[in-house]
Amino acid sequence: MSAGWWTAAGVAAVAALAWAPVLVPRDDILNFLVLTLLTVTLAQSWNIVAGYAGQVNLGHAAFFGLGALVTRTLWIAGVPVFLAMAAGAAVAVAFALAVGGAAFRLRGAYFAIGTLALGEILRITVGNVLAEISTLPTTAIAGYRLAFRYWIALGLAALSVATVAVLARSRLGLGMQAIREDEDAAEATGVGALRLKLTALALSTALAGLAGGLFAYYHISYYPAHPFSPHWTFDALLVTFIGGVGTLHGPILGAVFYVFLKEYLAIRWVDFHLLIFGALFVGIVLLLPGGLVQAGARLRRLAS
Amino acid sequence: MLEVDGLEAAYGAFPALAGVTLRVGAGEIVALLGPNGAGKTTLIRCIAGLLPPRAGAVRWQGRSLAGAAPHAVVERGIAIVPEGRRLFGSMTVEEHLDLGAFAPRARPERARRREQVYAVFPMLRERRRQVVRALSGGQQQMVAIARALMAVPRLLALDEPSLGLAPRVVDSILAVLGEINRTAGVSILLVEQNVHAALALAHRGYVLESGRVAGEGTAAALLADPHVRQAYLGPLAARA
Amino acid sequence: MTAVLLQQLVLGVLIGGLYGLAAAGLSLVFGVLKVLNVAHGELIMLGGYGAFWLFALAGVDPFAALGIVVPAAVVLGALLYHGLFAWVVRAHAETRIKNSLLIGFGLGLALHAAAVLAFTADERSVTTEYGGRVLDVAGISVPVVRLASLVLALGITGALHLLLARWKWGRAIRATAEDWEAAAMTGIDVRRAYLLAFAIGTGLAGAAGTLVSVGYSISPSIGLEWTLKALIVVVLAGLGSMLGTFVGGLVLGVAEAVSATVFGGPYREVVGLLIFFLVLVARPQGLFSR
Repeated sequence: MSAGWWTAAGVAAVAALAWAPVLVPRDDILNFLVLTLLTVTLAQSWNIVAGYAGQVNLGHAAFFGLGALVTRTLWIAGVPVFLAMAAGAAVAVAFALAVGGAAFRLRGAYFAIGTLALGEILRITVGNVLAEISTLPTTAIAGYRLAFRYWIALGLAALSVATVAVLARSRLGLGMQAIREDEDAAEATGVGALRLKLTALALSTALAGLAGGLFAYYHISYYPAHPFSPHWTFDALLVTFIGGVGTLHGPILGAVFYVFLKEYLAIRWVDFHLLIFGALFVGIVLLLPGGLVQAGARLRRLAS
Repeated sequence: MLEVDGLEAAYGAFPALAGVTLRVGAGEIVALLGPNGAGKTTLIRCIAGLLPPRAGAVRWQGRSLAGAAPHAVVERGIAIVPEGRRLFGSMTVEEHLDLGAFAPRARPERARRREQVYAVFPMLRERRRQVVRALSGGQQQMVAIARALMAVPRLLALDEPSLGLAPRVVDSILAVLGEINRTAGVSILLVEQNVHAALALAHRGYVLESGRVAGEGTAAALLADPHVRQAYLGPLAARA
Repeated sequence: MTAVLLQQLVLGVLIGGLYGLAAAGLSLVFGVLKVLNVAHGELIMLGGYGAFWLFALAGVDPFAALGIVVPAAVVLGALLYHGLFAWVVRAHAETRIKNSLLIGFGLGLALHAAAVLAFTADERSVTTEYGGRVLDVAGISVPVVRLASLVLALGITGALHLLLARWKWGRAIRATAEDWEAAAMTGIDVRRAYLLAFAIGTGLAGAAGTLVSVGYSISPSIGLEWTLKALIVVVLAGLGSMLGTFVGGLVLGVAEAVSATVFGGPYREVVGLLIFFLVLVARPQGLFSR
């Protein structure tokens, strides 16, 4: 399966999905797809830092939240939505770079819990400052077009997948993978570890910020602190690991699997899917670190 | 009592021992010499059970040590005094001695044993409530040896006990080792850079180079060996 | 203003003791196994529910329930070690911490979800008939149960200290924490030391949870919050001394109290997290170096 084949397949898939609002004009299905695409974007963006640069960022929701916050504020104030989303992404990246330098002084687990603390600080602060629910003005609700939002979600998901695809093969990406394998050795060979990590962080948070922007544009009303909730990070983590961290297809597989299972199980019990995913996650870390992608590869080998 | 046959070991992809064969008999003091990186510490780690060998065998009192966990090796009667002492910095001398007798074989007589050890190292009795971090290098080395002795070993393996210590201190430590060997019949495997001192104490010796035994013989024979003299005894050779 | 501050300080000290106890378990596990169990908060949560249900279903006084919850938690810890963390400790340093983080994360998620399914997401609290009593000390209200919890937390920490100092395996655990290879070469079965440390750590979580259920409230979601509190205290106090960890908990409680008074209630949590992040960054070499 060459890269060319996959690229063609990817483009075809995107093209096919683009027709969804026309062929299947059902709101519930479109909403479901938007959720899946959003999850893909969030997971792929997280995958950049975790899978390719090898750092577990537990504060990912902070950037999702910042993107949402800025986009929402600007858009409601009258700024065209794409500009608002770009601004949201920019703010997310700026924040990431501001604290990234300090955070990256931390290794491994300390980076993880440090970023978690940062995310929580933002969530609590935003929750205190903007405690009231944010609802779209009636004019915006009247002009709400789900299809338009769906296409943005599709575009974002495609963008995130493309970013990871290009990154994996680029010099930047290979340098990042060197860090993932052995940070000390990479540092010694002059890979400029910090610069690479910051670049990975910038790409990751830009995508997360855009995803946040979509969230802000998509939802009619929500509490401003909600997109800062760590459960968005945890979702990205679960999805990426279960699918296969550090791979291109992993987050996509994981996202589809996750959203489907969540929706299916939500019919019966509210949190059951989390119980399953938690256990599955532990199993994967212990037994099958490559996730579903690795499982798929093994099955293929068995079959051949 | 200790038989090492064709031992091969590696750290990941880096080979460290390429087939080592040696013996330590009952009541013997055997010196293990050689340059840095020759594999001496690796050999000790294999015997201790910290590094599983890739090939070859280690037998103790006729039975294989293969796969034995480090604490099991202690229980079988081999105590290690590791390179760099490896003490528990925040714990006292007394606590070290108490921990030294952790293995079941050492529990029953430990009070008496402790007195014996203090008799051998009177300086430690004075400092028994002190935290070992605060002791001098020589005193720490004594604690490390005392800790090992508390395990009632039949074989004591020491890795570079003289490292970083003043000659006078080294002499007193080696004297103690000789004493233990004579009175209690404990076998000793002594890894040392200080070739002169080691061969003065030992009955026999081996020279390890690049993971292999490059020479062996009685202490006297090794001292007289021209290769050994040139490579390891340097300017001291003229004195001897 | 000062009266309010004093009242807040007292309350801060009262909960600080529980922070210290919560951190003690995490610190023990982190110090000995070099494993960061981020599900520690969920274990605290389970301890709380243990006490709650013992009270609700069997009328067991929560302080007496300690005698049931703690041993049960110790057993749970042993099982968790054998089932999960025993595999994690086989890896070397950095992989070990990272894997433990991930596994703890999955475990915490699963435990949280299981608790929601089993107990519902409602907040619970053990309300004994003496629960409402309040001591008046020079104008400052001191809830009796919280005071009792503080005393118990201190007592348990003291007992832990003695256990580590006098008990043969307690010393073995300390030695393993300092240098596991040297401990192994001294004749200590390091795997057994790990198991004991993890089991005791879980027992401590159970104790903390029980005390939390009495003077405060519990729900399935308190896990993350308490894991963070424990982490903050461990980072503040460093590893090695249980009593030091207890004091670290008090410091956090007081810091929260001060910030709540000065900046307002909602920012209580933020100060702890900020301190945490700043201390972490100031010591990028990690917590192991002395």
